[in-house]
Amino acid sequence: MHTSFLDHGRGLHRADRRARGLFIAAVFLLVLLMSGHAKAAASASPAECSALQARYPQFKGKTFVNAINPHTPGYEALDPNDPSKYVGFDIDLGEAIGNCLGFTMTYRPVTFAALLATLQSGQADIVISDIYATDDRAKAADFITYSKVFDGVLVSKGNPKKITGINPSLCGTTAAENTGYVEVPLIQNLSQVCKAASKPEAAVQLYDNNANCIQAILSGRADTYVNDVNTVDQAVTAYPDELEKASAVTLPYSIGIAVPKDKQEFRTAVMKALVAIQNAGIQTNLLKKWSLGAENLETPKLIVSN
Amino acid sequence: MALFLHYLALPYLLKGISFTIAVTILGLAGGLIVALALASMQLSRIGPLAAVARGYTVIFRGTPLILQLVFAYDALPHLGLKLSAIGAAGLALAANEGPFIAEILRAGILGVDRGQLLAGQALGMTPTVLMRRVIAPQAIRTIVPALGNESVSALKNSSLASVIAVDELTLRSTQLASSTFDFFSIFFASGLMYLVLTGAIAAIQLIAEAALDLDRPASGRFNLLPLRRRLSVAVETPQATVPSPLDPARDLMPIAVTASRDKQQDRKQRYAQLVRHRAAVRVSSLRKHYDGQAVLEGFDLTVRVGEVIALLGPSGSGKSTLLRCVNHLEQWDGGEIRIDGQRLGFRVDGRPMTQREIANERAKAGVGMVFQHFNLFSHLTAFENIAGPLRWVHGMAPAAAERRALELLERVGLSDRASALPRQLSGGQQQRVAIARALAPNPRVLLLDEPTSALDPELVGEVLDVIQRLAIDGGLTMIISTHQLRFAAQVADRVVFMSGGTVVEEGPAHEILSYPRHPLTRRFLSVMGADSRAEVAI
Repeated sequence: MHTSFLDHGRGLHRADRRARGLFIAAVFLLVLLMSGHAKAAASASPAECSALQARYPQFKGKTFVNAINPHTPGYEALDPNDPSKYVGFDIDLGEAIGNCLGFTMTYRPVTFAALLATLQSGQADIVISDIYATDDRAKAADFITYSKVFDGVLVSKGNPKKITGINPSLCGTTAAENTGYVEVPLIQNLSQVCKAASKPEAAVQLYDNNANCIQAILSGRADTYVNDVNTVDQAVTAYPDELEKASAVTLPYSIGIAVPKDKQEFRTAVMKALVAIQNAGIQTNLLKKWSLGAENLETPKLIVSN
Repeated sequence: MALFLHYLALPYLLKGISFTIAVTILGLAGGLIVALALASMQLSRIGPLAAVARGYTVIFRGTPLILQLVFAYDALPHLGLKLSAIGAAGLALAANEGPFIAEILRAGILGVDRGQLLAGQALGMTPTVLMRRVIAPQAIRTIVPALGNESVSALKNSSLASVIAVDELTLRSTQLASSTFDFFSIFFASGLMYLVLTGAIAAIQLIAEAALDLDRPASGRFNLLPLRRRLSVAVETPQATVPSPLDPARDLMPIAVTASRDKQQDRKQRYAQLVRHRAAVRVSSLRKHYDGQAVLEGFDLTVRVGEVIALLGPSGSGKSTLLRCVNHLEQWDGGEIRIDGQRLGFRVDGRPMTQREIANERAKAGVGMVFQHFNLFSHLTAFENIAGPLRWVHGMAPAAAERRALELLERVGLSDRASALPRQLSGGQQQRVAIARALAPNPRVLLLDEPTSALDPELVGEVLDVIQRLAIDGGLTMIISTHQLRFAAQVADRVVFMSGGTVVEEGPAHEILSYPRHPLTRRFLSVMGADSRAEVAI
């Protein structure tokens, strides 16, 4: 998979220099410097992977459906240069897991709110789509976390409403959010705080993808859009004269891969593959490739509900 | 603008159109199947079936399509049915379109004039033939605009399939907008693509409307070309034998004048002869009720072969009901009717007949019927009104049916109007075509239900003239319900005066009309006679 870095060029962060990832990272940088293009690191499979394939032969040669909400450039979106493909960090990570376990991935684009329903109905086998692994969502699917969450606050240029995060500065403003996003209840929960401060509540407008949320700010319908910091950065890059990032918010969540609750073997295999990929430094490279910041990386843990 | 053009030509978006079209076609085709089932269930008059169809309509017309899509895609797999995205979208759209199309179909079918259905039945058409030849062609014409509308709506609704991952135009546009941030150029481009698609549907609708337009010049209706060639030959044949309909008074008056003593003598002889003929129609103890109201109460009547009966009586006396029973357009409650000795309405094993069997019985029994309001098939030419039923009901070869139709049109003096539609004919001409249509299968008995009541006074003569000719020249057995006393006197062998569903008085026409014995008959004749004189004066 070839990807033009010119479309995502925010420069590479300094690598979180793990010993095992160093070599591959160096090769990666070299290739990038020489050609301006990078071959996805996902194609290289760590040694543990052949052991995993031998242990989980039932997944080898299969094709699994990955449900995605492809409206988040950097994580998952159409390739602007070739709209027949999906590209992004999540896509590469999914491919890397697939390579490791010997299966291939196809994609099913759905709304964000429908991601887990699609998994539950069996119309998809896995969800790798920048979805935060919350306890509530864990009632619908099991999650294997792979990344920390940093949110950004997208506002109009100059931040006229002086919004600083999911805090009382939001009282009386209107936030655009995607249906089903974890930020929605957080903003709604501000109502007590706003009431106490004798301010009107924050209003939430619900849309079904990032582009619509961004358009809501551009058209003046909403004052802010709080979402993953990289999505916010992408929006600011696209509309530098109209938008800016007010601040970053840390949310107590992790981003996770969702798998069906009744497929424990699959969950275990995916988790082991993810660990192997992280150990080989592949995830770090991917984070860099997509300018997401290596500090996002998180050691996989399971979030399941009983 | 450059970006807009770029996206307008982008293969990725253009390819999405094929999915949009696929979902739309699945939805419309499936919707049509669902609609046919729903409409026939609702029109079936079978209570539980109609109730199920209504329940379905309430649910699927009353819930948002987007919920139905999500249900088909995400909920059905839990029930063991996992459809592809496009399959689920097609299913949901079909299920949703079904009730809407069903109502369009129902409106089209119910919009077909009931009189034409009666006429079709009277000609012996089975329900299937009636649907195919009379109802469907007319219903389809009227529903084309509504179907065009529904197709456009289905095409636009297909965009909702984007929520269940159908890779159609809207989904592709939104994803592309997310990845490129070229929000407006992309949506203007896809909007234009939708416009082109809906424009194509509008064009198809216009073409269909034009193709089905009956008022287009006949040259456009290629199927009639051979007929028109032959007709021109037919028109050239000498018309010496054709009665002129243009001057009915000329034909009527001499008969009126010759109704002299000689004529009276002839008629007495004829009456005496007729009594010896075998019975063509025998009605015994016929009872018919409408909502507990007796319309026919123990009615008896025997009509001899070759006899012409004039049924007289005030409105509501049961004349029309009697005629409809004789043609089995109505089911009676008691008594029996025999045509040529054959009992109507019962199979050999004594059980009641189905609609289809009744239709076949009608065709076989040879009872023709002429209605007060003509009831010509309005989508067919005068020629086809006559020739069509011969082919469809009696299985006559097209050439033979054509010959017969042209011959009959000539007999009623309308050879030159063969290719005219009913609405292009005057009332009198329409009734003459209707008579020709009823005569075409050579019926044993012809029933005429107030054949001139719906006509303007100046058109009455031409129709009576044709009927009179049938009686005199054709020797046809006829039962005519009429208010035309003079006509009854001239044509009928016997007058039957009805009141309250029974025979009040009957006898040779000249006797009853000249010397009525029953007070009811006397009163009726004096009132109608005054009217009749007034009409003749006009």
